[in-house]
Amino acid sequence: MKHHCKKIFFVYFVLCGLFAQVKLTVNTIPKRAEILLDGKSIGKTPIHKAMITTGEHKFEINKSGFAPLIYDLIVNPSEAVHLDFFLNPIYKVKFKTDEKGLIFELNGEHRWDDDLIRLKLEAGDHMLRVFKLGNIIDEQTILVDEPKTFRYFLKKPISEE
Amino acid sequence: MKKSLIISVWLLIIGKAYSLDLEPTILVLNQFDRQVPKVDSTLISNFSKSFFEFESTLNQLFGELDQVDNPAAWRMGLVKELGIKHNVNFILFNRIKHEEKRFFMEGQLYNTRSGGLIHHRKIDLANYVGGQINELNLWVGDAFDHKNREWNDNRESILFQNPEEIEHEKTPMGAAMRSLIVPGWGQAYSDKKTSAKIWAGTESSLSLAILISFLNYDKATTGYLKNLENYNNTDNEKEVAEYKAQAESDWDDHVKFNNLMIAFAGATGTGWIANSIHAWIVGPKPLKNIYQKWDPPSSAESG
Repeated sequence: MKHHCKKIFFVYFVLCGLFAQVKLTVNTIPKRAEILLDGKSIGKTPIHKAMITTGEHKFEINKSGFAPLIYDLIVNPSEAVHLDFFLNPIYKVKFKTDEKGLIFELNGEHRWDDDLIRLKLEAGDHMLRVFKLGNIIDEQTILVDEPKTFRYFLKKPISEE
Repeated sequence: MKKSLIISVWLLIIGKAYSLDLEPTILVLNQFDRQVPKVDSTLISNFSKSFFEFESTLNQLFGELDQVDNPAAWRMGLVKELGIKHNVNFILFNRIKHEEKRFFMEGQLYNTRSGGLIHHRKIDLANYVGGQINELNLWVGDAFDHKNREWNDNRESILFQNPEEIEHEKTPMGAAMRSLIVPGWGQAYSDKKTSAKIWAGTESSLSLAILISFLNYDKATTGYLKNLENYNNTDNEKEVAEYKAQAESDWDDHVKFNNLMIAFAGATGTGWIANSIHAWIVGPKPLKNIYQKWDPPSSAESG
């Protein structure tokens, strides 16, 4: 009987170790972002007093108007895990030019040759490349910090230097 | 068994109470890839209830936690030893690495009584003015439950604004409303001086035309009524013919100026609304002109 009890305690402690629960707090700026933990929604931020098991986990943070975030985390046995995320907004941006025969490329991904296009861009720096007749004629970083219209000109007038 | 459990619980409670009463004494080990000025004095002044000791030679002893199997206990012996040597309750290890426009900060807080890691923070942020000091304040404040709203506000200064919260001083709607009140005002508000003058001039001219038409209409109506009265009151053939001709002319003028007044009023009204719509279209919107760089780096390299 005594031997049987020891065995039960051993199994209990092993299971406790394997499925140890850690307190989870998740905050985002701005608030009210939906948090998916390993593909399952655990609510909207701020999240307090949630529990998480030790081991590998994947967080997905979604909020309308902001760029989604994916964050992989290995949770070690501990009392609590506190996560803070800053969400980056997405701005509606127009890109116009009156120049002819130009091809634009943004971040090495998006290409266009239209005079006017509308884009949804994550706030921050973006790399703009301009091509003419297959040759790169310009390369520069543009900062998207609010919803705005960008107008591209081939040469800067001397008066504006 | 039960007795020992009760004793353990009491010991835990007493231990916790004892540790809360203690003013933290902290050995700070900083490992920064660039010099961060005034770290020591800032921590001392912001956390006056804590005692800090700074040591610059030991920081290499604390490293990558992610590469060890048991991070909570990986430096137990060393932490306890340093705790006794420096007579401190805690060891705070801070590391800051810079990468272009970002910086990466890691903080590890050890309890020298147990030797264990009790707090660990990693943060990856866009660099901002005083960001390193501010993040250190936030980290130490979190660890020792001393919070300051200003530090959070400083951190949030790096964030881009929520698109829904962006308010522009001048808006297309503001321009449209102004132009609805006074034609051309919205265009002037949007710094479109030429179109402001054109709209103001056009609407003024049309309004003046309405006024002139109205005055002529009124004159024609009055003249017609007067001639009609004179026509009715006379038997003189010559006068009858004269009053009749004048009354007919006044009648024609009254109809003509009435039509002109209606046409000018319609044009003024339509123009007024068009001017407001135009003000909205050309209204102030955030615009950024991008000019080709004179010497694109890639072409210079390839050339």
